[in-house]
Amino acid sequence: MTPRTPRRSQRVLVLVALLIVASALSWWVLSTRRSTPATGSLTVYYTKLDGTTEVPWPVSMRPRAAGESDASYVRETVKYAAVQAVAGPASDVQAIRFPPGTHVLAVDVTATTATVDLSREVEQQTGGSFGENGEFKALVYSLTSIGGIDAVQVKVVGRTLETLPGGHLALDGPLRRSDW
Amino acid sequence: MGRFAVRIGSAALAALCLLLPGAPARADSGTSFVFESTRIDFTHVVRKNGNVAIGADDPGFRTLLGALGANLTWKPGDRSVLIATAQPVIISFTVGETRYDVGTKALTASFAPFEQDAVPYVPLQELLGALDLAIVNDGGTRLLQPQLTDLDLSSSGGRTTLVARAAIALHARVVADDARQLTLAFDGVGSTLAGTKPVQAAGVSSLVVSVAGVPRAPTTLISLQLTPGAAHGVADTDDGRDFKIGLSGPMPLGGGPATTVAVTTPSPSPQPLASATPALQASASPAAIALVSAVAAQSDPAGVRIAVTVSGGASFEWHRLRDPDNRFWIDLHGAQLSMPPRDDALGDPVQTVRIRQLDPTTVRVALSLTGEKLVNVLPTATGIELDVATVDAPADAARIGTGSIGGAIPVVAEATPNPLDTSNWKFGPQAYVPANPRLIVIDPGHGGSDRGAIRNGVSEAALALDMANRLQAILVARGWEVTMTHTDDSDVYAPNDTARQELQARDDIANNAGARLLVSVHVNSFINAGPNGTTTYYAKPSDVALADAIRQRLAAGLATKDDGVVKSKFYIVLHALMPAALVETAFLSNPDDFAKLNSPQWRQHVAQAIADGIGDYAGAPPPAPNQ
Repeated sequence: MTPRTPRRSQRVLVLVALLIVASALSWWVLSTRRSTPATGSLTVYYTKLDGTTEVPWPVSMRPRAAGESDASYVRETVKYAAVQAVAGPASDVQAIRFPPGTHVLAVDVTATTATVDLSREVEQQTGGSFGENGEFKALVYSLTSIGGIDAVQVKVVGRTLETLPGGHLALDGPLRRSDW
Repeated sequence: MGRFAVRIGSAALAALCLLLPGAPARADSGTSFVFESTRIDFTHVVRKNGNVAIGADDPGFRTLLGALGANLTWKPGDRSVLIATAQPVIISFTVGETRYDVGTKALTASFAPFEQDAVPYVPLQELLGALDLAIVNDGGTRLLQPQLTDLDLSSSGGRTTLVARAAIALHARVVADDARQLTLAFDGVGSTLAGTKPVQAAGVSSLVVSVAGVPRAPTTLISLQLTPGAAHGVADTDDGRDFKIGLSGPMPLGGGPATTVAVTTPSPSPQPLASATPALQASASPAAIALVSAVAAQSDPAGVRIAVTVSGGASFEWHRLRDPDNRFWIDLHGAQLSMPPRDDALGDPVQTVRIRQLDPTTVRVALSLTGEKLVNVLPTATGIELDVATVDAPADAARIGTGSIGGAIPVVAEATPNPLDTSNWKFGPQAYVPANPRLIVIDPGHGGSDRGAIRNGVSEAALALDMANRLQAILVARGWEVTMTHTDDSDVYAPNDTARQELQARDDIANNAGARLLVSVHVNSFINAGPNGTTTYYAKPSDVALADAIRQRLAAGLATKDDGVVKSKFYIVLHALMPAALVETAFLSNPDDFAKLNSPQWRQHVAQAIADGIGDYAGAPPPAPNQ
């Protein structure tokens, strides 16, 4: 049996040290991932046909990815909520809905204001204030249910409008829950 | 580090709610509330020991929680109901236990939560209190009024931070900002913290909290009296819900070490059920403010005597405008209203009496007179009396005066205002002064290239114009001046203009004329035939009384479903400087409503009801200048 040389012992020690460091790193990465907020659902709202009542409606939301920044996750959450709110609840639910074809083109988040860019179809309102009021109320309630968002600026195909054509609601500034 | 804390918290408010009108006798009426213009019906309720328990699965309750950004969790294994508010504060009830927790505070409920059909039921009034909602009675309607319940003023190292929290997200308006004071207005929230609190904090010598507005649209005012050289930063928030602002400057003169002053709500010990409006509680301090608690009018052949009840000392200053603007007002300085603001219509020689909190320390009592009447101002043991005679004042009668009641030192205004300057005629920071108080502007919705909603060839524009014309005729017959934004079926700004150009042009007509009020008449529509009824919309706090007056007449006079008064950010209402309302009379898209809209008699009823509502709100038109 060959006796261990001092050099070989040093290699073993270095190897052990590397293993300890690797284990610590693995533990840290895994524990960090576990501590990342992993929101699995989101509350979206629709407006009932009474024109005023907001009904909360849970939708599932992907958890936050490892290493995903706060800003990125909030923006993605806002986009998801906006898409859900504009699409509305299941078709058998009696709800005020955005005009057919309306969809979300883009979202952005600046401080506590979410900006939602909607497609041209949103301008195809029925003429009454009833639908317009309920649609945007639900959108605002949905997005402001997200932590850190308290206002919603609406754009249509990239432009800020004071109101929709033939419309009633003032869209020249951010909308807040307190507007209703 | 000095720390001044005003913490009422959910606990005390919960106790306060217990003092409010008792539990409803029947679930169908007693558990209906209005929260931020939305009616909320609690249907899953059980009466217990004279109180009301609400089920965790109640749809109305879930809606309310959603509106507040709160979440409820029921843990059957632990028998616990947990509600996380948006702030967040954890409200915790346990089935079978009267103790419940609001944040770190342990409280006792009137009865223990219980379980029925696998659903937990919790005490309703305690729950509403924990959510910082006060029950306020508004003419028979029970409002869930969000409360500003938490003020935290902390001072350290020459810097002071003020943080305010409420049941809903706070948005501040700066209504006064000068070297001596910073006054912030928080619309949509009431508060039981009203009062004056001396402070020893960097840059701040005292803090005054007052509540103005009406029950449906309260405004809480926070006024910080600044020390010389004080400065403040910009408004900020930690979580998008609270309000925070930093200040710096010297400590108040004569101040010892920093003090801690706490203000609490009334004791939670049982008391007789009283007014649904919480009494204002001011902390005892040398600078105690006088409270104005009542105003009463008594007529006799010689005129009208208006008695204003004031407890404590206050100075006053009165003004009278010349004919034909026959108005009189008296400002009580160092005073706060301990009653809701009031508008009373009388007759001759006093058309209306109004009482308001003008600013955090001034109460204004204003009279509209039928002529240049003689007014005597008489301090009394209980306050002050205004004796208005049926005879006219002599030509050389004084038009301004000062005095005091309750031993206060009279204070003369630093700059005597011009009595003819009608800017003095205002209530609150956003008050509007109509240049022509006889003028009403009617806006027929849409018109010209914008037809609005259309059904079977019948357009909203044509119907709205017809009803507006009828309304104009009624109001003119009653003595009002009326301007229509358009008298035929045409665009106001230009054909095929933008909606904003069109709506702003209509607002400009009313704003430039200094109208008394604006009413926009519309017809509603939806993509299916289901929705129906009549809705009156408002946008600003100053619109509420007008909108509600119109709604009441519409509800009584039309055979449509009453969809109530609804707040929304409608452009034409929002951008009108004066009180305004938008009436959606009925739905073109609903067969029954459509039939009504096609009836000239029904459209006449609409016009009559709106005119009556305007009359309820504004009274009779003031005399014309040549009368």
